[in-house]
Amino acid sequence: MKQTPIISMKKICKSFPLEVGGEQQVLFDISFTINPGEFVAIMGPSGSGKSTCMNIVGALDSASSGTYELYGKDITTLLPDELAKIRNEYIGFVFQNFNLLPKRNILDNVMLPLMYRGLPIPERLERAREMLKLVNLENFETYLPTQLSGGMKQRVAIARALAGNPKLILADEPTGALDSKMGNEILKFFKKLNKEMGITIVMITHEFEIARYANRVIHIYDGHITYDGPIPKNETVLLKSEQKARRK
Amino acid sequence: MTFYDIAHESWLSISGNKMRSFLTVLGIVIGIMAVVIMVAVGETVQQSITDQFSSLGTNTIMIRAGAAQSAGVRSGNRMTLTMDDVQYLSQLPDVAAVSPVENSSAQVVYGNKNWSTSMVGVYPGYATVQNLEMEYGTFIDMSAVRNAATYAVIGPDTAEELGLPKNPVGEVIRVRNTPLTVIGVTKAKGDSGMGSQDDMIIVPITTLKKRIVGSRFPNSVNMISLKLYQDADNNIATDQITSLLRQRHKLKDSDADDFQITDMKQVMETMETVTGYLTLLLIAIAAVSLLVGSIGIMNMMLVSVAERTREIGIRKAIGAQETTIITQFLSESILISFIGSMFGLVLGVGLSQGVGRFVLHYNVPFSIWPVVVSISVAVVVGLVSGVMPAIKAAKLNPIDSLRYE
Repeated sequence: MKQTPIISMKKICKSFPLEVGGEQQVLFDISFTINPGEFVAIMGPSGSGKSTCMNIVGALDSASSGTYELYGKDITTLLPDELAKIRNEYIGFVFQNFNLLPKRNILDNVMLPLMYRGLPIPERLERAREMLKLVNLENFETYLPTQLSGGMKQRVAIARALAGNPKLILADEPTGALDSKMGNEILKFFKKLNKEMGITIVMITHEFEIARYANRVIHIYDGHITYDGPIPKNETVLLKSEQKARRK
Repeated sequence: MTFYDIAHESWLSISGNKMRSFLTVLGIVIGIMAVVIMVAVGETVQQSITDQFSSLGTNTIMIRAGAAQSAGVRSGNRMTLTMDDVQYLSQLPDVAAVSPVENSSAQVVYGNKNWSTSMVGVYPGYATVQNLEMEYGTFIDMSAVRNAATYAVIGPDTAEELGLPKNPVGEVIRVRNTPLTVIGVTKAKGDSGMGSQDDMIIVPITTLKKRIVGSRFPNSVNMISLKLYQDADNNIATDQITSLLRQRHKLKDSDADDFQITDMKQVMETMETVTGYLTLLLIAIAAVSLLVGSIGIMNMMLVSVAERTREIGIRKAIGAQETTIITQFLSESILISFIGSMFGLVLGVGLSQGVGRFVLHYNVPFSIWPVVVSISVAVVVGLVSGVMPAIKAAKLNPIDSLRYE
């Protein structure tokens, strides 16, 4: 039985208007499919377009052309409010700088997506507590984000991302603000989520060592996909694909 | 989001920035307080005018002699009104009571007490015209008028000033060497100052003219006061009076009236219009401070949107729709405005009632509409000053706001 891909991107292009007039294209004909249960790393040097790609995948931005199907649903031409609903329902975000609400306690932060979904308060509480337990922070409910370490904050962010029971977790440089020990801890946790709970994870990173935790790498260079496949033995494969693209 | 969520989120945001919220709320407090106090001032003035007129009654009409014009110049008091006019006026269908009024001043003596007061010579109808009620004794009757009886009805203040016994009926007071027997004391009306009805001596007009003043024109009348029936139309009555008097005075069509009619209802209406405008002016001035307060809210909300750009980005990323963001920011500004209005209302009502009761000793009327107005103003001010910042917040691009430092 053919399963519905979580993400199906066909010939996605994205251009931004320039202040001086005209446009700059940052993504060229990006096409890829991600199936349920995959753990994909999107790699590329800075300025390659990987963040723009991530924003489109995360329904934070829409493509200039091409089609994007999320869980079989074409969301290319949706309005901002419809995209917000999609984000709330299908996607959990984990950001480099955690992006927790600084003046709300941990529990409130985790409950936030459930509030926007319109869940009754008791259900929100139950679900949020469950998630905090999953990330081993059940004793920190009333703490403010500022009272926690970076690793703990990122775990809160993961709990928040998971609270909505999403199909997909999008992690944008999730270990960028953490030391390597805490970073590894988070990545192991992602791995666990992927393996044990079957959650699809798409992670953006520029470090090959981090990408190793994934099962598949999509390498973007200068707005083009230069490599899409299993994790290569070392980074040179990816760098070579860049050189090849440059020659073209 | 439920209503509770919205209110809770707004409260957390507002209370998260206590000093700034306090100052913004203060702007609205002052604005609403100013409006409430100005409304109270206006209503107090209007109330006191209405009080003064209601002691007289608005269905009272006064006719003064003279005021005829020759060559455009008023020729003063000509004695154009007569006792006979009074008789004829009393027969008009709308007239409930009528009395000639002759004003004079009097130095009254009782025992060794001496008091200077005003004195009026009237008919029995005067009691009805002026809404006088008796505390003791009776009012002047028609036979007293016919006989120019040396009777007097006095006001309660006069009785007190003269040191008369509590029930002074039967006591004799002297005015310009004429002994007058007190036959009644009117009930206190509570008005004070010039022409107070609590401090005057009322005698039959004939007594005043013949015995006390010694007028050379016993048949002429300076002023006629009359009261209309409750359901009578003041304008129609005025027309009837005018045509009756013109006819009796044999005035030609080209002649001007040789009398002057003052309709108390008209006077009151004019006064009310004037004080109404005055009140509006006061409220308009107070509304300016409310406007300044609402600009304060808008300013605070704009700063808040700029400050919370990142928060808005987070909220949008995890699923807040534009309408949700708008609702949240609008409800914050409405909440601020509402809190300010409530405090302003309480302070305004408290101050106006307190100052009125304990400092001015005047019963400031309390009406419900400042409450209604301030609640509505709160919502409107909150909405108006919140709309722009809220839309600004909602339109923020989640990607840009997430990157915002």
